[in-house]
Amino acid sequence: MSGPILIVGGGPSGLSAAHAAASAGRKVTLVEKEDRLGGAPILSGYAKLVPSHEWAKDAIGAMVTRVEKNPNVTVHLNAQVQEFAGEPGAFVATLKDGTKLDAESAILTTGFTHFDSINKPEWGFGTYPDVVTTTQVEQMISSGRGVRCPSDGRKPDRVAILLCVGSRDRQIGREWCSKICCTVSANLAMEIREELPDSNVYIYYMDIRTFGLMEGEFYWGSQEKYKVKYIKARIAEVTSDGKRLLVKGEDTLVKRPISIPFDMVVHAVGMDPNVDNMTISSVFGVKMNKYGFIDRQNTYTTLCETSRPGVFVAGSATGPETIDDSIAQGSAAAMAAVGFAANAVETAAE
Amino acid sequence: MPIHEKSLIRPEKLIEHEELVIEGVDVSGHWSTFIEGRSVADYNENLQDEIAALPGGEYIHRCWQCGSCTNSCTVNAINADFNPRYWIYLIRTGMEEELLRDKDIIWQCVSCNKCTYACPRDVVPEGVMKATSHWLELKGHTPKSPSTIFDEAFSEQVISRGKIEDGLVLRNFFKRTGQPLNQPWLIAMVGGLIKRFPVFYLMKLGFATVFRPKTKGWNRARDAINEYAEEREAANRKALGLGSKGAK
Ligand SMILES: Cc1cc2nc3c(=O)[nH]c(=O)nc-3n(C[C@H](O)[C@H](O)[C@H](O)COP(=O)(O)OP(=O)(O)OC[C@H]3O[C@@H](n4cnc5c(N)ncnc54)[C@H](O)[C@@H]3O)c2cc1C
Ligand code: SF4
Ligand code: SF4
Ligand code: SF4
Repeated sequence: MSGPILIVGGGPSGLSAAHAAASAGRKVTLVEKEDRLGGAPILSGYAKLVPSHEWAKDAIGAMVTRVEKNPNVTVHLNAQVQEFAGEPGAFVATLKDGTKLDAESAILTTGFTHFDSINKPEWGFGTYPDVVTTTQVEQMISSGRGVRCPSDGRKPDRVAILLCVGSRDRQIGREWCSKICCTVSANLAMEIREELPDSNVYIYYMDIRTFGLMEGEFYWGSQEKYKVKYIKARIAEVTSDGKRLLVKGEDTLVKRPISIPFDMVVHAVGMDPNVDNMTISSVFGVKMNKYGFIDRQNTYTTLCETSRPGVFVAGSATGPETIDDSIAQGSAAAMAAVGFAANAVETAAE
Repeated sequence: MPIHEKSLIRPEKLIEHEELVIEGVDVSGHWSTFIEGRSVADYNENLQDEIAALPGGEYIHRCWQCGSCTNSCTVNAINADFNPRYWIYLIRTGMEEELLRDKDIIWQCVSCNKCTYACPRDVVPEGVMKATSHWLELKGHTPKSPSTIFDEAFSEQVISRGKIEDGLVLRNFFKRTGQPLNQPWLIAMVGGLIKRFPVFYLMKLGFATVFRPKTKGWNRARDAINEYAEEREAANRKALGLGSKGAK
C-alpha cells in the first residue's frame, strides 16, 4: 500500500468523501483548483439552500471546517493534477507546480459548470442588464444587498423566472434535466416575495420538477403562501421597450400570444458538465458518457466506479445532482475506495 | 333564459326546437335555446401514426407542448389561429374533429422553418405541417392547393420528358386551376420577351413550344422515377388506411 486516497475537487461531494475516508482512519489528499474549499455553493455565493433553508455559507462552511480540521486530511489549494500514472494501489499524481503525490486510489469530485446563458441569446442575457441568472439572484440575497435591478438599482415590481435555460434543449445539445433548478427557482421566488411583498413573481415553465418532499413546501408553498404565479409557456424572446423588458411567447393554456413587461428576468440556469472534463478524462484515463459527464461503470453494485480500476467518481461530476445526493455519493465513493484498498491487501496476502 | 355572449358558443351547438315539451314544460322556440355539450367523446388512436407515416411527420411523437413553434411562427404572427403546437396536440391525442375545424388554414404554413430552429425537442414542426396538409388532401378533407397543382404540372413534365417547357407548365396550371390564359401580367411578360430577346433565342423558344424537347435516353429514368413515386404514394395511402388508387 502506498499512500493516501487522492480526492480531486473540494465541493460538497469531495468534502463528504474526504470526511468519510478520514473518519475510517485513512489519509486523504484533497486537491482543489480554486483558492477555497466548498464548491459551487461557496464559490458562487448561494443563499439559503433547498430543502434545508440553511445558508450555504453556514451549511457547506461547516463541512469545509470539519475537513480542514481533520489531521488525516492534507489540502492543496490552487492546484490541479497534470499527470496521473502508475497502477491501482500505487498511483502517482503530478500537480501543475510539479509536486508529486502518492495515491493508492483516486476519487473525482470535480463537479459541474453553470450553463452560460450567452448561448441562448434570444432570452436577452448579455444584452439587457436586468436579465440575470439564478446564480446572480442567489448572490444578491446572500450578500445582503437584496434583489435589485442591476441597471439602476431599483426594486423590481415584476419578476419573470424562465425555467430550463440550458437544459432539456436539443438545439444546444443538452438532453438532460438539471434536477434542482425548479425547486431553486420556487425557493428564490418565495425569497423575492418575502423581501419585496409588493412584487409580482411569475415562473414560466414547461414542466415542474420539485420532486419528492420538495413538492409541498416549494411548489405548493410558493403558490399558496407567496402567490407566485406559474405560466405554462416556453418564452420566444426577451426584448425591451426602452424602459422595461418585454417577455414574448405563447401562453399555451389560453392559446394566445403574450407580450408582457417585466423589470427583471431571471434565467434558471442548468448544470453543464465541468468544462475541464476533456482534460480530466485524458489525465485520469476515465471515460465520459455521451453527455460529457464522467461515466459510471455500473449503477447498482459499484455505484462510484469509473472505467479505470482504482479511480472513483461522485457528485455532479457524473450528471446533475443535488447537494444531498452529492454528499451521499461522496461517502459511497469513500467507502468504495477504502474497500478497494482492503481487497488489494487481501489479494496480496494470499 | 336568453343566452348572453352567444358569440362564444359554436353555432352548431345552439339548438332551438319549434315545438318541444319535456315533462309537461313547453321548451319550444328562441327563449328555450339549448346548448349542446362540447365534451370530447372519443380519441382516434391512429391519427398520430398516420401523420408520422407521411414524410415530415416522423418526429411528431417527441412534442411536449412548450409552444416555441407557435411563438416563433411567421404565420401565427399574422393569424393567431394558426397554431402548430395546438394541432400537434390534437393529432397526438387523436382529436380529429377538432383538427378538421382548422383544415382551411393548416396548409398556409410558408415552410420558413423558424419553428424547426426553435423547437427544443427537434420535432421539426415544419415537416409535421407538411405531413398534415398532405394528410388532409389524401383523406379528401381539402382540395389540392394551387401550389400542389403547380408542382404536379411541373413534375409531370420533368418526369415524362426530362425537361420542361415553361409555356406548357403554365398552360396546364391555368387549365387545372380553371384560370384563363390571357392574364394581363403574362401578356406583358411575353410582350417584353419578344421585344428584348435576341431572335435566335426566340426561335429556340418557339421551336421548343412546337416540338417539345426531351432528354436523350430518358425513358428508363422516367420509368424508375414513376415506379418510386407510385411506391411512395401507395405506402402513404396504405398508412392512412386508404385504397390503393387515389383521387388523382
Ligand atoms: C443556481 C444553483 C443553485 C443551487 N442550489 C442548490 C440548493 O439549494 N440545494 C441543493 O441541493 N443543490 C443546489 N444546487 C446544486 C449544487 O450546486 C450541486 O449539487 C453541488 O454543488 C454539487 O457538488 P459537487 O461537489 O459534486 O460539485 P461542485 O460544487 O461543482 O464542486 C466541484 C469542486 O471541484 C473543483 N474542481 C473542478 N474541476 C477541478 C479540477 N480539474 N481540479 C481540481 N479541482 C477541480 C471546483 O473548483 C469545485 O470546488 C444548485 C445549483 C445551482 C446551479
Ligand atoms: S429542474 Fe426544472 S428548471 Fe431545471 S431543467 Fe429540470 S424541469 Fe427545467
Ligand atoms: S415553417 Fe410553417 S409552422 Fe413553422 S414557423 Fe414557418 S410558417 Fe410557422
Ligand atoms: S416547439 Fe417543438 S416541442 Fe415545443 S410545442 Fe412546438 S413542436 Fe412541440
